[in-house]
Amino acid sequence: MESKDIISSGLLELYVLGLASNEENTNVRRWITQFPEVDKEIAEIQVAMEGYALAQATQPDQSVKKKILDRIVLPSNDKVTSEVSFQKNETAKVYTIPSYYKWAAAASIILLIGSLIINYTYYNKYQSVSANLQVAQNELNKQKEIAAGMSKDMQVVTDKNAMPVVLKGTPHAPDALAKIFWMQNTGEVYVDPTNLPQPAADKQYQLWAIVDGKPVDGGMISIQKGLYKIQKMKSFGKAEAFAITLEKQGGSPTPTMQEMYVIAKIKI
Amino acid sequence: MLQVKKYSEDELVSLLQSKDAQAFNYLYDNYSAALYGVIYKMVEDKELAEDILQEVFVKIWNNFSNYNSTKGRLFTWMLNITRNLSIDTFRSKTYKKQVKIQSFENSVDNFIDSTSGTGQFDSLGIRRHLTRLKNDQKQIIDLAYFSGFTQEEIAKQLSIPLGTVKTRMRTAIMELRKILQV
Repeated sequence: MESKDIISSGLLELYVLGLASNEENTNVRRWITQFPEVDKEIAEIQVAMEGYALAQATQPDQSVKKKILDRIVLPSNDKVTSEVSFQKNETAKVYTIPSYYKWAAAASIILLIGSLIINYTYYNKYQSVSANLQVAQNELNKQKEIAAGMSKDMQVVTDKNAMPVVLKGTPHAPDALAKIFWMQNTGEVYVDPTNLPQPAADKQYQLWAIVDGKPVDGGMISIQKGLYKIQKMKSFGKAEAFAITLEKQGGSPTPTMQEMYVIAKIKI
Repeated sequence: MLQVKKYSEDELVSLLQSKDAQAFNYLYDNYSAALYGVIYKMVEDKELAEDILQEVFVKIWNNFSNYNSTKGRLFTWMLNITRNLSIDTFRSKTYKKQVKIQSFENSVDNFIDSTSGTGQFDSLGIRRHLTRLKNDQKQIIDLAYFSGFTQEEIAKQLSIPLGTVKTRMRTAIMELRKILQV
C-alpha cells in the first residue's frame, strides 16, 4: 500500500483513537516503521487529540493528590517498616495488586537477606532429619486415603458453584502456584496447594483473605507431597484478594509480607 | 508549593523512570487537570472520576518503566491509560452510569475551575477555537474519544455504514488539525 493511500484512508485516525481492530493495529505499526510520512502523520494526529482532550481540562479536588502520594512507594522515603500494614481503604474498593507486589518486593529486598540466611540454616538442619520421616509417613497415608481423597477432590472441582482462583507466584517465589475453589453459594474456600514449594518442617503455609483492605486468617495449609488433596479452609463471604504466606508451624496472627508466595486479586 | 522548576520532556521521563518524587509531583500538578477533565467527561460523576484519577496516577507511577520515547508522546501515553481505565470502569458491571443533567451553574463552575490552576496549557483558548468545529464533526470525534464506543457502535449511533466512519473521522480530525494548526 502506498503511504498517501494509508494516510487518506482515515485508518490512522482510528488507530490513534484506539478504535482500530487488532489486525489494523498490527498493520499500522508496521507502516510506522516502513514510512516516515505515516510516522509523522500519526504524531500530528496525536497532538491534535491531545489538544482536543485539553479543552476538557478541569481541576480535580485538592484531596486527590494526597491520596495518590499515600499509595505510591517512594524509594527514598523508606515507607517500609517491619510491621505489616495493608493500605487503609475507607470505601472498601479494590485497588490494583501491583501496589502490593511493589510494597512486598521492597520489604523483602530489605529484610530478606537476613531472613534468608536464617531460613537456609534451618532448612538444611531440618531437611535431612524430617525428610525420611516425612516420606515414610506419606507412603502410609497415601495408601489409606488416596481413594477417599480423590473422589472428594473431584466433588469440589466439579461443583458448579466453585469459582476457581489461581494464585500466582510473587517475586519471592516466581514459580509457586496455588489454586483456590471458592464456593459462590456458601463462601466455603478450598485450596489446592500442590504447586507450592515444599516448606521446611518447622514452617507452614497460611492462607489469607484480604477483606476490607485487611488480611484475615484463612487457616493453615498442610503440604503432603505427591498427594493431590484439596483442603477446606475458612469460609469467606467476600474478599478482595487471597494470598499465601509461609509462617512458622501453627501460623501467625498477621502475615509475614516478605514470605508471601502467591497472591491473586479477585476480579468483580 | 509553587513549582518554579520546569522540566523538559526528556528530563521528566528519565527522572520518572528513576522514581523521582519531585518529578512525579510536577507531573501531577501539570497533567492532573487534563486527565481529570477527560475522565469526568466520560463518567460524569465526581467521586468516581476522582477514584479513577487516583488509579491513573498510581498506574502511571507503577508502569513508568514500560514507557520510553519509542512508545510515542508522553501525554498521549497518559491519555491512553486514562481513557482505557475509564472505559473499563464504565463497562464493569458494578458501575451504573448516572445520567446527570449538567446544570448551567455546574458547567460555569467547571469553566472557571479550568482557567485557574498551574496548568501550562490554555484550555479556555482551545475551547474557543473548537467552537469553529462543525457540530457533526465534533459529534463524531466526541463519540470516538469519550464514549468508549467501537467503530460499529458509532456507525449504528450515526446511522451510517461502517466504512463511512473512517472517512468521516478523517475529515473531522483534519478540520480539527487545521483549527489547532497541527
